[in-house]
Amino acid sequence: MVVSVKVFKKATPNGKVTFYLGRRDFIDHLDYCDPVDGVIVVEPEYLKNRKVFGQLATTYRYGREEDEVMGVKFSKELILSREQIVPMTNPNMEMTPMQEKLVRKLGANAHPFTFHFPPNSPSSVTLQQEGDDMGKPLGVEYTIRAYVADSEDDRQHKRSMVSLVIKKLQYAPLNRGQRLPSSLVSKGFTFSNGKISLEVTLDREIYYHGEKVAATVQVSNNSKKSVKSIKCFIVQHTEITMVNAQFSKHVAQLETKEGCPITPGANLTKTFYLIPLAANNKDRHGIALDGHLKDEDVNLASSTMVQEGKSTGDACGIVISYSVRIKLNCGTLGGEMQTDVPFKLLQPAPGTIEKKRSNAMKKMKSIEQHRNVKGYYQDDDDNIVFEDFAKMRMNNVNMAD
Amino acid sequence: MHINYTGDLTGPQPYASFLNDSLGDASGSVLPLGHDYPAEFQHMVHAHWRGFRTPPIYHRAGIYIAFCVLMTLNIFGNGLVIWIFSTSKSLRTPSNLLILNLAVFDLFMASNMPHYLINATLGYIAGGEMGCDIYALNGGISGMGASITNAFIAFDRYKTISNPIDGRLSYGQILMCIIFTWLWATPFSVLPLFQIWGRYLPEGFLTTCTFDYLTNTDENRLFVRTIFVWSYAIPMTVIIVSYYKLFTHVRTHEQMLAEQAKKMNVKSLSANQNNDSMSVELKIAKAALIIYMLFVLAWTPYSVVALIGCFGEQQLITPFVSMLPMLACKSVSCLDPWVYATSHPKYRLELERRLPWLGIREKQTGTGATGGQESVASVSGDTLAMSVQN
Repeated sequence: MVVSVKVFKKATPNGKVTFYLGRRDFIDHLDYCDPVDGVIVVEPEYLKNRKVFGQLATTYRYGREEDEVMGVKFSKELILSREQIVPMTNPNMEMTPMQEKLVRKLGANAHPFTFHFPPNSPSSVTLQQEGDDMGKPLGVEYTIRAYVADSEDDRQHKRSMVSLVIKKLQYAPLNRGQRLPSSLVSKGFTFSNGKISLEVTLDREIYYHGEKVAATVQVSNNSKKSVKSIKCFIVQHTEITMVNAQFSKHVAQLETKEGCPITPGANLTKTFYLIPLAANNKDRHGIALDGHLKDEDVNLASSTMVQEGKSTGDACGIVISYSVRIKLNCGTLGGEMQTDVPFKLLQPAPGTIEKKRSNAMKKMKSIEQHRNVKGYYQDDDDNIVFEDFAKMRMNNVNMAD
Repeated sequence: MHINYTGDLTGPQPYASFLNDSLGDASGSVLPLGHDYPAEFQHMVHAHWRGFRTPPIYHRAGIYIAFCVLMTLNIFGNGLVIWIFSTSKSLRTPSNLLILNLAVFDLFMASNMPHYLINATLGYIAGGEMGCDIYALNGGISGMGASITNAFIAFDRYKTISNPIDGRLSYGQILMCIIFTWLWATPFSVLPLFQIWGRYLPEGFLTTCTFDYLTNTDENRLFVRTIFVWSYAIPMTVIIVSYYKLFTHVRTHEQMLAEQAKKMNVKSLSANQNNDSMSVELKIAKAALIIYMLFVLAWTPYSVVALIGCFGEQQLITPFVSMLPMLACKSVSCLDPWVYATSHPKYRLELERRLPWLGIREKQTGTGATGGQESVASVSGDTLAMSVQN
């Protein structure tokens, strides 16, 4: 039986050292994180007595490259782990199934390696730039790198160095939680009695990317003012710990006057549906996205999850959170009242139905791309996937409706 | 509108010290400065200068040669900056507009230099009063404009570095700054031009012109005081405060990042792969100090001479001494492109690409290590479908 497995491959400019990686997305499960497992192939004649070293590094970029002056760099690289790959320092290393397969396939010159993400390492996040900005994207990025040298601290030459960008992501827990997030506020007015109270409840605590967020708004007006209109936003909160900066961006919004004005003494219960999507926020500066590798469709950045017992204040890198914000316009004199209800926006965990669907979609995309680039003929296996994808697309359309 | 100062100028010569000079006495051939001025321009010469002998020819020749060199350097350096910055897409950022503006002011200053060379050859100001006014107006606008542009560059750098995400000034704000620099340079160049407040007079070897800092009237003293604050003290304060705040910001930021790295058990924290480069704080301190010193070098001599002329021992201001500040600020206009532009990695790259004969080699490892390595990752296709047989 032939199983088609996609493998990421990249060679040094001189072609002597080659990386093979089974995947480029590595999942942080909070209690443990997938290690980076792969294989390096190197020609022994080329190596002579030198060694191959590997590094797992994360790059923080918190400012545009074009703005760098006076020798200040708006980026920092942290070498998270270094290891000697060839010759192997630990001959009893346990190989993952992927590594076993690759080593069997690639022969004696293949050397497996494994890197571990340190605890507290941040997730990959990219801050979107305006359309014409050609510089390197801002955010947190991971790179694995291999180079040939005599010792670890030796100068690294471009010709014999290879690096590959990978992603570190977080998935939603299997259990989406029972608690329904809600918030209740009330507002009184100077010079008049009574209050307007506003209660907002979401239908879930954790949403998957592309899902509809339903916010039920209950307004009871016991004041003498009336509510003119209701605005509903989904707000993405981005905290860039590297520069102590934070900002909020609306990623979805709607405004309605339906049911308005809510006159004194009246009540209103209404549910708003909003879908936060990266596609609706193209070219908007500063929108945080899941660290993206060029050829894949991107999501909005997933909410940052922290281990139990820790606060997001301890998190490094870029911390993302979301909330639904409801604003009531109480007229020119009454002003505005607003409330925020936090929720989480995440990738479905592997194994769940949703995950399978989106996986199929991704696979389809990359196959399509390959067909375009390489123009090679698809075998039957891929055709099956293709049909899967078509179905998926229809589902999506239905969902959007 | 013309104020008649002649009584003042042809009166007794209180500083004719050289007349008692033994050498001068013996030969009897020593002539006071300004004796060879054409009769119609004689009224422009301040009495102060008549108290000095005509400077020796090697002083004049030395300054003449210095001006030739400065003019060449200035036009070459600033011309290159204007050409490259205005035509390269990679250099089109709001902040770089300020550097462009500075180059325009500096080049404007160079436009005076051919005029000087003619004056120096003739021995008097070509064009008489009008020539003098044009010369001094050029110098005033370009000088004050350059000094306030320096201040804005410092402020913009502070804004950008202290908040790299969204702190940099926008195109609109920068354009406002640039308009502001020109407005800033205007009042104290135009007021003396129309002799509303202060006036322009030949100085030094009587071949250059600037505002009058020798007349001891209350009005004129106030003018010198004001121009000192306006074109020296205020920009200087902005520069010092901006760079100081920038430095302290970078220091705390570095500490904060080191803390974060510690949380992840990471020791190595570098801007690029080579750890041998200077620490960021040191780099900033060095760059800021150079810029500050440049400002001091450019404008302190002028301020000192003007203040002495107005409030101190006027006798100290010999023609030669009064030529020095002018040389200082002209030479800074040649150094500006070097300090602001040539330290810009993108500009150097662009120069290397366009003018390879300049011999500029931008070190890839030093400034663009992460850049080079990342571009490898994003340029070449790095996915490949591979079948693994089970």
